[in-house]
Amino acid sequence: MGEQKSLLEVSDLRVSYGRIEAVRTLSLKVGAGEFVGVIGSNGAGKSSTMRAIAGSVPPSGGRIEFKGADVTSLPSYEKVARGIAMVPEGRMIFGNQTVRDNLLLGAYTRIGHDKAGVAEDMERALSLFPRLRERLEQLGASLSGGEQQMLAIARGLLSRPKLLVIDELSLGLAPKIIEQIFPILIDLNRQGLAVLLVEQMASYALAVTQRTYVMENGSILLEGPSQELATDRRVLDAYLGRRH
Amino acid sequence: MEQILQFVLSGLSQGGIYALVAIGYYMMWAATKAANFTHGDIFMLGAVSTVILAGLGIPLPLAMPLAILLSAAAGALIERVAVRPFNQGPSSVGWMLTTIAIGLMMESAFTATYGPLGKPLYSPLAQSPIRISGTGIYPQELLIPVVAIAIMLALEIFYQRTIVGRAMLAVAANRIAAGLMGINVNRISMIAYAMAAGIGALAGILLAPVAEASPAMGALIGLKAFVIAIVAGMSSARGVVFVALAYGVLEKMIEGFISTGARNAIGFGVMILLLLIFPNGIFGKREVVKV
Repeated sequence: MGEQKSLLEVSDLRVSYGRIEAVRTLSLKVGAGEFVGVIGSNGAGKSSTMRAIAGSVPPSGGRIEFKGADVTSLPSYEKVARGIAMVPEGRMIFGNQTVRDNLLLGAYTRIGHDKAGVAEDMERALSLFPRLRERLEQLGASLSGGEQQMLAIARGLLSRPKLLVIDELSLGLAPKIIEQIFPILIDLNRQGLAVLLVEQMASYALAVTQRTYVMENGSILLEGPSQELATDRRVLDAYLGRRH
Repeated sequence: MEQILQFVLSGLSQGGIYALVAIGYYMMWAATKAANFTHGDIFMLGAVSTVILAGLGIPLPLAMPLAILLSAAAGALIERVAVRPFNQGPSSVGWMLTTIAIGLMMESAFTATYGPLGKPLYSPLAQSPIRISGTGIYPQELLIPVVAIAIMLALEIFYQRTIVGRAMLAVAANRIAAGLMGINVNRISMIAYAMAAGIGALAGILLAPVAEASPAMGALIGLKAFVIAIVAGMSSARGVVFVALAYGVLEKMIEGFISTGARNAIGFGVMILLLLIFPNGIFGKREVVKV
């Protein structure tokens, strides 16, 4: 998307675990306010890419730029401060802390100097996900899978990110829950939040995102507007043909 | 009957010391999944440095907090140089060697300079014993378990009500997720070590007026407190304090009814038995590890 100024620009990214290379020379971009999807089969390197972008895994090569600055090797906590929030695969809710405490932890980088802003954002997050308001004083571990995913997203929003990275949103969730969460993401995106969504269920990702990357064997196989890819034969055969 | 009261009171006192030291092992384990084996010597550092500072003419109300701050700084430094670089992977064990080594170095350094013998620390609460139905005990000894429980309650408030405490729980639960919240995991670990060391030093300062401060005073207590933390399950300050107080009373019972010589043999025997019955510790949860 040449006309849009890139918010996130990843070039020639490599991620290795010991001798195993999970991502090899991957490049992708997310424009400000864009909703971008990454699809691909299990083991294509999608999660490793997201971990490198969020800083929980150091890249072994390549470059990651965010808002024009080099953030390649910054640890995750510094990336959060710069505006990248990640909803990790498996949600990673703090099960022995309350829903409220989980949300406050999401605001960790701001809570010291922006109490009023945090309270305001907390209120906004709870009105997006009213189920969380009912469960505010319950332990994270007592929530259902769907509620945990809502909490993980709400917690991510509390750092006031410019880019929200979501790794495997639908994993283990009932279709009914997924269909509740997607419209909320679309709304957030319309309000200006850039979203990078990794989804194994290609049909969902292609339906909500503006642009999609198809990953295979650690790099990008295809890239294009989601509507076009949804009718692309290669995508149809490889990712939409199989039963979900 | 009076004898039993005596054993219980002095046991709670001894157990209070174990509790304050064991709480530190729990905090450090929670933050870094490593045990700092200098911790017994940090306990000693608190006591010995208070004696040294008092000897320089610094009044006790100032010497004690100074010694605690000094020990907290030592704890933070140990995290940075002896634990963090040797604890980079889930199966790293280098920190065992480095922390044991630094503990031994501290002990020898103090033996060489301060001298091997114990020196008493003055406390107005250790001058004349009070009589409780015929048995005598120093107010200082009664103070110890009270402080242990107060510290435990304060820690619970810290974990539940402050953002740094919440962050420490988050780091304990999942370091990757904590990082994604914007938490500087290394800094939180360092704070946990500093707090643990400060509490350990406080234990040494509390014990010194009734047991003297010597360079070797931390070795056995450090080991016992570690065993107590393991048996409790490393899962909560409350569990650790409960087991520590019970262990202190058990020790005094063994001393009183059997012999001082049997204390460690039977005491450790009981702990091993408990660990066989509760492999994850009495209050421990099974640690679910997902790589």
